[in-house]
Amino acid sequence: MSITRRKVLAGSAVSAAALTANFPAPAIANTDPIRIGYLPALTGPSSSTGIGINRGTQLAVELINKEGGIKGRKIELISRDTQSDPTKAVNAVAELTQRAKAAMIWGPLNSGEALAATPLIARDKVPMLHPCWVDSLIDVKKYPMSFRQAPTNTQVGKGANHYVVNVLKLKKVAVVSDTTGYGTDSANTYVPMLKQMGADVVYTNHVDAANPDLKPELLRMQSAGAQAIMPWSVNAGFLSRILNTRGDMNWDVPVVGQTTLGSGQTKALLTKPEYWNKVYSNNFRNCCYVNGKLSPRAQEFVDRLKAAKIEFGDTLLWWVALGWDGAMMMGEVLKAVGPKNTDIVAYMNKVKDWPGIYGTVTWTPEQHNGFPDQEVVMCEVNSLKDGAFNLAPGYSA
Amino acid sequence: MLQSIVSYGLAVGAVYALIGITYNVMFSASRVFSFTAGMLGMLGGVLGALFIQHWGMNAILGFVLVLACGAALGLVTEILTVRPVLKSVEQHLYVLSTLAFALMIQQVTAIYWGTEAQPFPTLIPIDPGSMLDVVDQKFWLPLLACFVTIGGLEFLYRKTLIGRAFLAIAEDSYAARALGLPETRLRMASYALAGMIGALAGFTGAQMLLAYFGNQAILNFFGFIPVALGGMGSNRGAVIGGLALGLFQQAANFLVGGIFAAVAVFAVFIVVLLLRPEGLAGAAAARRV
Repeated sequence: MSITRRKVLAGSAVSAAALTANFPAPAIANTDPIRIGYLPALTGPSSSTGIGINRGTQLAVELINKEGGIKGRKIELISRDTQSDPTKAVNAVAELTQRAKAAMIWGPLNSGEALAATPLIARDKVPMLHPCWVDSLIDVKKYPMSFRQAPTNTQVGKGANHYVVNVLKLKKVAVVSDTTGYGTDSANTYVPMLKQMGADVVYTNHVDAANPDLKPELLRMQSAGAQAIMPWSVNAGFLSRILNTRGDMNWDVPVVGQTTLGSGQTKALLTKPEYWNKVYSNNFRNCCYVNGKLSPRAQEFVDRLKAAKIEFGDTLLWWVALGWDGAMMMGEVLKAVGPKNTDIVAYMNKVKDWPGIYGTVTWTPEQHNGFPDQEVVMCEVNSLKDGAFNLAPGYSA
Repeated sequence: MLQSIVSYGLAVGAVYALIGITYNVMFSASRVFSFTAGMLGMLGGVLGALFIQHWGMNAILGFVLVLACGAALGLVTEILTVRPVLKSVEQHLYVLSTLAFALMIQQVTAIYWGTEAQPFPTLIPIDPGSMLDVVDQKFWLPLLACFVTIGGLEFLYRKTLIGRAFLAIAEDSYAARALGLPETRLRMASYALAGMIGALAGFTGAQMLLAYFGNQAILNFFGFIPVALGGMGSNRGAVIGGLALGLFQQAANFLVGGIFAAVAVFAVFIVVLLLRPEGLAGAAAARRV
């Protein structure tokens, strides 16, 4: 048998293949950073929330990277300021998911932008974590990779209703809203819930937020026998007019409602500081003072913020805590399963009682709303100290 | 109840009337219905709060500066949005140009001032319990401004030469020009005057309406109703229409409340216009045959 050059070459190739087939791949660690797309609103009309959340997010990412990152890989937070504009959020999504190949998306942080961005992030099959309250943003069938670590609007309303009916034991309630989509939708959702809880909704109305005189509304509430007023609006002007009119009428009825009731903008519009008494706004148990003290994990977080010289007196503790929790959660998920989207979702579907600073989170494959009802509480708005409020009176510690 | 209807109704009505006069002064000089009137009112409140509350200026100095800003914006309106479209006034391009300018200014205000209502300072320090404190200044200040303005305009238009010149160009700009009147300068002066009146409306009404960028749309709309009710170009009609609108709106707030109050106002507005399309104080336009 003659040995041809062709046979030698073929034999060498087969031998080389046989030799290399059983060799393990060289152990060269991947040190490329893991990219997280981040969509805060840092400028524009809805930026106050984003600025607060951003402080917690940046601090957490810094800490994760300082402690070695994700198995030696740093987290690279690719931040795109949405400027409180849904169009800009949509443009940023395309950049983060398609060009930057982000492993996860944190945000958008405002509902208006999240409503526009969520379907696109879902289309690109990138796991997403957000803190927005609009109920429809979570739907495991439409958006199977989207998770929420904050309460829904329904939970927020339920928390306020629970406080009025079960904690304050008041049965005659006046519900009023402005004429915006948020206001009317909230009032229309919460009134049936109140009735189901046994409350008598003695007065309900939608009022133009620009109306400078709300005395007619409050007189009608008073004559209907209202024992509590529940205004649903994010308009500080509207809310302050309710409080000023109540004060001018010397009517000490409690006012219970949305977080804007406790905002600095509302406070600035009050005729007298005492008009903020007996006003209770939504908050979160873990970020409230109970008997003058924060919970141990929140206190530890505050100490960490102080040590890192992170300013939080000009914002709210729960905003900063929310940012911290979001970044820490993503760090934990990536450490556990790496950056593959299906692995991330599978891991997040099994998160149970994750002890965040802002709140405890539990997700299941069927439920991506992770915040527990019992941690949505009311606080005393006139008790703001170091970014946190006192738990409203009546709750058991 | 009656006290609240009268005090709030007249005060808000006076602000509407002043915005109506702003529309009229601009309309008289150019036959252009400039939708910057609400913008001027909104800025009167925002700039007043900025100068006095934020920058700590004296109230009088702040007031003068607000009027100066109003006049400057009136001039800019005339130069940028009215003059270029005057030649084709029958195509109503001014609707687009003035509205676009007003919206642009509103957006800038929202970005730099914020979208939340902000407080407006108490302008005149009055001891609580004193005689002057019987009626809150937030109610009588707009009324005072309204009466001073209408008095001043009546004096200007009827007793001064420059006022007569304003009336001349309002009546027939071609004839006025032929007589040697400086039409462009007079129109600019009218817009500056309108700017001051609009800013005055917002400034004096801001203790009630707050310093809020969203006031622009409300003032634009509710300021237009007195003009339609009172008759285009009639300042007295605008005052009567504005005060009547304020009183009716406030009465509707008490009687029906909520969004139905606005429905009641619009219903009456439509009925009045159906019965008297030329307005309550306006004269029916003669048709050339």
